[in-house]
Formats: sequence, structure tokens, C-alpha cells
Amino acid sequence: MKRSMSEDRRQRFDALFTAYAPDIVAYCTWRASSASDAQDAAADVFLAAWRRLDAVPDGEAARVWLYATARRVLANQRRSRRRHLALQERLAAEPAAAAAAVPDSEAMLVHEALLHLGARDREVLLLAEWEGLTPAQIGTVVGCLAVTARGRLHRARRRFRSVFEDLRAEGRTSKERPLLAKEGPEHA
Amino acid sequence: MPETIDALHRANPRAEMGLDDAVEAVSRAVRAQLGTHAALQPRSRSRRRLVRLSLALAGCAGVVAAVLSVSVGPSGAPDAAAAVKKAATLSAASAERSGTAVVRLTHDGDLWAGTTIRWHGNDLSVASDSPGRLGKAGSKLLVVGGTLYGIEPEHGGWMALGSPKNIDPGSGTTPAEYLAAVRDDVGGASLERITGAMLNPSTRRLADGSTVYSGAVKAGLIARETGFKEGHVIRVLPFGFVAHGEAANPASPLEASVTVGADGIVRNIGVTWSSWAYSVAYEKLGSSPALGAPANAPSLPKLRRQRAARG
Repeated sequence: MKRSMSEDRRQRFDALFTAYAPDIVAYCTWRASSASDAQDAAADVFLAAWRRLDAVPDGEAARVWLYATARRVLANQRRSRRRHLALQERLAAEPAAAAAAVPDSEAMLVHEALLHLGARDREVLLLAEWEGLTPAQIGTVVGCLAVTARGRLHRARRRFRSVFEDLRAEGRTSKERPLLAKEGPEHA
Repeated sequence: MPETIDALHRANPRAEMGLDDAVEAVSRAVRAQLGTHAALQPRSRSRRRLVRLSLALAGCAGVVAAVLSVSVGPSGAPDAAAAVKKAATLSAASAERSGTAVVRLTHDGDLWAGTTIRWHGNDLSVASDSPGRLGKAGSKLLVVGGTLYGIEPEHGGWMALGSPKNIDPGSGTTPAEYLAAVRDDVGGASLERITGAMLNPSTRRLADGSTVYSGAVKAGLIARETGFKEGHVIRVLPFGFVAHGEAANPASPLEASVTVGADGIVRNIGVTWSSWAYSVAYEKLGSSPALGAPANAPSLPKLRRQRAARG
């Protein structure tokens, strides 16, 4: 009986990992300071899921639970880094995956425009546009009401559009910045 | 607006960042952890102390696996890799029966913290040797015949705390399961997780026939756990010791060594950085004596009744 429960548990976890690992790894990659940090964080997220498997909801809600956990793991990771690491040296030695992945001038413009958004607005915008979450799901992930998330998302889209259009008109980019890898302090 | 958002979608780094490789790397890390670490079992607050003990055991094995793992990377000599792998296998077989692990953290040569762990079959004891901890509550734990014993804080003697299963009903974790995880880990199950990380590995033969494999290892491979202390995030060495100095930075290279005895069994794991030294010494793997239950250890309910009677 115990063995059967253990197998069920393992199967459920495997299904969870198979379904959502790409999403969580991708999310961690654009939010972490480096590719290795992103992988560490993603692994921590799934280890937390294993430990608290009974608390992980079923279906699509599991995905949201994993995003919320990833957000907390990354926040802890950033706080730890601020205390223990010379972050700039680390970034210099190990370029952030998101920055390294910027392929062309349009993407550079996008990343520059994103930098002009506040950290919270940027987060909800990318959770919606890159991760495909609804405002209600974003609210769950970042810990606010759905209506608040919807408001932030509306504001972020408007702001992003405005800045992006301005930058495109100016033809200006800033290749020196690692962009998304340098987020401000979390308020999780 | 749609055109702008389309540009944002096109800039999504997902497609560019080798996601499949990253997912595979995460999968390997998670699989290795699930297969080896007791820390991944469900936990609850009511059993925190026991879990801490168990984590210590798991961590003990973890540092063996980590250091052994990094010793057999592609940059090491093939002979050394084979020897270390063989040592891990032999050590695992011996550790299956019994063993003693003596853990020491020193600073400027002085003992900073220490723990001695003995196990025999499913029984185990953990004793803190840290200065200032001797004789205090929580400084010793013992599991014999399925009964957990701890130090009675008032007089420093043993008290019977009952079955570990009763301490955390429904958690699915027992000392036996933790010990099983430790034994698995001693066998080098983490070898897949960490490879090729030891820089400039070297081999040294000692007069007693033992061999020392040494090289630089990133601190993050040794102090793998994170935790909180006084509101601060910390890196934690196996056995719950706080990683100070360079060891707190996962990227810092620390000097690590694995000593394999002439009999082919792992004897010592050592890690040094600046004025700190951390070591896990294995003794009597497979030949540690049986653990005995403390005589006349009062039960916790009995102690409570005695205290209540005293007013």
C-alpha cells in the first residue's frame, strides 16, 4: 500500500515536470541573473513541488502554483546574491541568458523599452505576453487581485507601446545593458 | 498596438536560449536529488528536529557524493576517476551495515562546530561536539529499536521521546527511510549531477597506502543548501553548519580532497578555504558496534507528570 502511494506520488510528479518544466525553466531564465542560476532555481521549484505535492493543485492551477513558487525562489536567490556575491563580477564572467539571447535590433528595442517600465509592470506584462498567463493567474502568481493585475497589465502595455514607438522613431538601442537580468528588489 | 506586442512576442527569449538543454539539465538535477536526498521527503514543523538530524545525515552523504563526483570529471585522470568510483561503491557497501562519521568545522585551527554520527542497522545517534552545546537539549539524539531519545533539558540526561513515527504522523518519513537515502547517496548516486567540476585535480600517495585526490571545487557544490538565519539567507554546509567567508559564495573555488584508504574505502573528505577547514572523517564503515538504548530513560509524559507534581 505504502509503495503504491509512493509510486502514485512519483507518477504525479513526473507528469507535473513533463508538462510544465519548459515553462518554469523559461520563466526562470529570463528572470535569473545567469543561466546556471535559472537552472538552480527551476530545480528548486520542482523540489519544492515534490516536497509539497499534496498542496499542488491539479490542472492549469498547478502551472500557476509553479510560477508563484518560482517567483519566490528567484526572490530568495536574488536576496542571497545581493549579500554574498559580487553580482557585477558574476554577470561579467557569466552573461545572463536573456541578454545573450537578444538576436536583433528589434529585440534590442523591445528590451530597452521594457527597461523603461517599472519592475512590477514589466513583470505582469511578460507573464502575460511571454508566459501566456491570464490576469487572474498573474494575480495569483504575484499576490494581488485579478483586477489589480489587469490594471497593471493595461498600464504596462500602454507604457510599453509608447516607449517602444519612441525608441523605434529615434532608432536608439543600448547594447551594453544586460537588460532583464538586472531587476530591482522583489517585494514578494 | 498589436504590432508592438508582436515585437514583444518575437523577443521572447524562449526560442533562443537552448530551452531543451536547460530543461534536461534541470531534470538531471531534480532526478538526482529525488533519488538521493532525504530532504526531499515531506516535512512538517512538528518533526523539525528529527528532520534536521536526518538532513544532517543526508548532507553527510551528500558531501561525499559531491566531492567524489567532482573528482571523476573528464578533467581528472582516468585512473583516479576509476579509483574514486570504486571507493564510492565499496564505501556504500560498508555503510549499508554501520559506520561513524565525524564532522568538523574549524576556524584558525580551533573547533568551530562538530557533529559525530553513528549508525548501525536502523539505529543511529547524533551528537553535537560544538563548543557550548555539550549536554544541552538537542545536543544529542538517539534512535534505538524504533524509539527516539533526546536530552532532558533540566538535568541533561536521556529521555524517551517515543516512536519517531508518532512525532510526525502521516509524513511518510522515518529514520529508516532517511538512512536508506543516506546509504544510496554514499554510493555516489549524485555522480550524474556533478561532473567535471574539479579543477587541476592531483593524486598523492601517502605512506600508509592511502591515496589523496585533491583539486579546486566550487563552493556551491559543497554548501548546496540554503537557509535562513536571523532573517538572512545563508548557504549551509552539510550538518547544518553555516558556510562562512568564501564558502558562502557558490562560485568560489575551495580546495577539496578525498582520501581513500589502502583498503579502497573513503576515509576522509576535506574542504579548506582561507582560515576555515571542513572535514568529514569516516570510521569503522561496516564495523561500528551496535547502539544501546539508555538505561532508565524516563518518558516525556512521565517527566511532565513529575514536574507538575513538583508544582
